[in-house]
Amino acid sequence: MEVGQLQRSFLEYIAALFREGFLDGQFSQLQLLQDESNPDFVVEVVSLFFEDSERLLNDLTKALDQQNVDFIKIDAHVHQLKGSSSSIGAQRVKNACITFRNCCDERNIEACLRCLQEVKQEYLLAKTKLEALFRLEQQIVAAGGAIPILDEFS
Amino acid sequence: MGDSEIEICRNIGDQKKQRQDLHVLAVDDSRLDRKLLERLLTVSSYQVTFVDSGDKALEYLGLIDNIDEENQYQTSSSSPKSSLHDKLQVSKINLIMTDYSMPGISGFDLLKKVKDSFWRDIPVVIMSSENLPSRINMCLEGGAEDFLLKPVKLSDLRKLHSHLLNSHCQKQDKDSIKYKENTTLLETRPLPVLSMN
Repeated sequence: MEVGQLQRSFLEYIAALFREGFLDGQFSQLQLLQDESNPDFVVEVVSLFFEDSERLLNDLTKALDQQNVDFIKIDAHVHQLKGSSSSIGAQRVKNACITFRNCCDERNIEACLRCLQEVKQEYLLAKTKLEALFRLEQQIVAAGGAIPILDEFS
Repeated sequence: MGDSEIEICRNIGDQKKQRQDLHVLAVDDSRLDRKLLERLLTVSSYQVTFVDSGDKALEYLGLIDNIDEENQYQTSSSSPKSSLHDKLQVSKINLIMTDYSMPGISGFDLLKKVKDSFWRDIPVVIMSSENLPSRINMCLEGGAEDFLLKPVKLSDLRKLHSHLLNSHCQKQDKDSIKYKENTTLLETRPLPVLSMN
């Protein structure tokens, strides 16, 4: 596929991610921080998000499986996950975390388990879409093109 | 400080050059947020030193002695005054930026300890992902220079820098104080831009 086509596919894909609420303005902020001296900045930061999330989701699963559920610990984990998702602009993951924290406040185990499921689903969706986005970027670069920046205000 | 240096204070175009003299101590337990902050500060031309906890920040500032490891900031001199002075030479911090919620001591605790110490004139900025008015007020009343909501953006740093510069200039105008070395935002030695022909 020629570069122009790849770039258009990329712009359409990322525009959809913003439109559907997967990504918010913070993701654009990350893109602004990427340049020739730091060409992999966004991928690196998002990789940290994947690592953080997988560890926290594991910890949350274990914590909710205990005899005596420690809601304070669970809230702390969800707070961290909310922070990471917010830092990269993963809006739907962040919102799922906000709902989760409300369930923690109510100390309702059933509701928390449902929230955890919701967060896991949103995380997997975000991960799939971001990985697809990065693959498109790689194709553009491999074809000798530059990665276009979406003007989200246009 | 002469009139020409006050002029430079007000010259917004020189802000970038002035930032290159600024050394920030950044405190955050999240690896992701450290990476993000590092990039933001570097792009804004600050020099940054990172620590991942409030305790490590205190250690860096010489406010705790690390008895377990060899403390690189300790000197062989037994005089406390000269030991602090040597610590100053090593650290030379102009600004502290800290996350609020961290395991161990919180950003607020760190703020209080800094304000109770020799470093009390160093501006401390607190960052938090939670928009809680009570928390914000507590930090500002506790002496925080500013409170930034996470995720921190480039525009936040630009505003912060203007704010720091302005409050420094106001202080200059109000009382012609002799500034202690290393507690000023701008070096008292002539800035590079002064030597332009």
